[in-house]
Amino acid sequence: MSSRNRNILIVVGAIIAGIAARLLFPMGQPAISVKAEEIFGIPNFTNSMFVLLLVDIFLIVIAFLATRNMQMVPKGLQNFMEWVLEMMFNFFSSINKKWTPAAFPLLATIFLMVLVSNWTGLLPGFGSIGFCHAGESHASLALNIQDPYAGLVPSPFAAAEGESKYLGCQPGESIVELFRAPTADLNLTLALALIAVFAIEYFGFRALGVGYLGKFFNVKGGAVGFIVGIFEFISEIARIPAFMFRLFGNIFAGEVLLIVMIFLLPLALPIPFYIFEVFVGFIQAFIFSVLTIAFIGLATEHHGDDHSHAEGAHH
Amino acid sequence: MDVEAARLLATALAIGLAAIGPGIGIGFLVSGALQAIGRNPEAQGTIVTNMFIGIVFAEALAIFGLVIAFLIGFGVL
Amino acid sequence: MEELGLNLPKLIYQIINFVLLMVILYALLYQRVLAMLAERRQRIEQSLKDAEQVKLQLANARRDYDAEIAKARQEAATIVAQAQERARAQEAEIVAQARREAERVRDEARTQAVQEREQLLREAKDQIAELVTLTASRVLDAELKASGHDKLIAESLSALGRRN
Repeated sequence: MSSRNRNILIVVGAIIAGIAARLLFPMGQPAISVKAEEIFGIPNFTNSMFVLLLVDIFLIVIAFLATRNMQMVPKGLQNFMEWVLEMMFNFFSSINKKWTPAAFPLLATIFLMVLVSNWTGLLPGFGSIGFCHAGESHASLALNIQDPYAGLVPSPFAAAEGESKYLGCQPGESIVELFRAPTADLNLTLALALIAVFAIEYFGFRALGVGYLGKFFNVKGGAVGFIVGIFEFISEIARIPAFMFRLFGNIFAGEVLLIVMIFLLPLALPIPFYIFEVFVGFIQAFIFSVLTIAFIGLATEHHGDDHSHAEGAHH
Repeated sequence: MDVEAARLLATALAIGLAAIGPGIGIGFLVSGALQAIGRNPEAQGTIVTNMFIGIVFAEALAIFGLVIAFLIGFGVL
Repeated sequence: MEELGLNLPKLIYQIINFVLLMVILYALLYQRVLAMLAERRQRIEQSLKDAEQVKLQLANARRDYDAEIAKARQEAATIVAQAQERARAQEAEIVAQARREAERVRDEARTQAVQEREQLLREAKDQIAELVTLTASRVLDAELKASGHDKLIAESLSALGRRN
């Protein structure tokens, strides 16, 4: 059998199995929550924080194992981590050679943490395992999607009269997921954005001293310079929501996309989107750290003075 | 028009309108990048990296629209 | 803000979590791996430098060797030239000596031959003179009376002398 025929057979089999699964096991409305929800009854402890702790432990264990027995000729995990860090270091150096050594811990931690967090959202169990609790979820998907498979065939697993229609929670209850990708939580992305922007300003001051403020409060350039300075300030502040929503939006949208695809046709339809989400997870982690070093590069170079002098001379 | 209908419309419009600009922008970006690669194939690595950075800037706008769409759709706003 | 799930304690938790993770990873991972990479780079540079040194030394040795060889060859050539010179001189000397010897031998031979001939001639002359005298005496004895024979004797003697 040629590999092409085999692939076609696999796809057709996945589609049939997906339809069969949807017919046999009725599925509730996909539960999507914009915000991370509290679990274990602990105040201010959300499912994304829980997963973030797991991510922390994973990274620390990896770091510990990779550096436990360092050798001059690396192999195994040590070799892999050296390769990863060296690639990152060289790449950041290619963007900004001068400040990469100082900023590397920040950049590498952003990259590793965001990458692992993004990819955890693709693991099985995320968005499906959870606790039922009383009351309507305040943030479940409000768009009322009609289940296209409902009632097509009598399912042996269909609920009897008066019971819950769905495998899962009783009517009037809503599900709280146990796991949630940490980066699909605005608290994390806002925290990262604040840290990144803080680091950018810090390196700006470190490189230029108090003169860094001259970029924003431009007194030499006259009225035009003053307005330019205000715009600089606004664009500096606007980086925070840009960082925050770029990461959150990509990851959260990816989760919604996968859940809707699973709702429409399990098994067959989500596969290409899973591959795409692996790519998106990497790109977003990469972009967050690359933008941070790029903005550090912008903040640390001398700015404006000669330029505004020349402009002033013209007027 | 009741609130629910307005909400649905707003959701669809938010993401639909937000996707227009970034779509055009990413088209321009990739076209430029491919021309650059065609002209200078040795620089492919740098060009592709910078292309992705540019794409991410353009795509961020669509993502903002998507976030707004979700917020409207889920009744947060 | 609350609808988006944003609130201050969670935000602070996230910031502290990130900073802690960064510090731990810095101590555990980045510091060590970067140090290791730097050390390896330094070692490689050192090795390269050493290799360069060795190459240089090798080149030096090679040059010395070549110079030595060239010198030896030159010396050998000088020696050969000198030997040839000497051989040629010797040859010439030997030849000259041989020639001198030959000359001497020839001269001796010639002198000897001349002397022998002279001696021979002298002896022959003596013998002839004796014979002639004998003959003449005999003739004189026999024909003493025929005095005209004196003239004959003188003539034959002068003819002998001329022939010498």
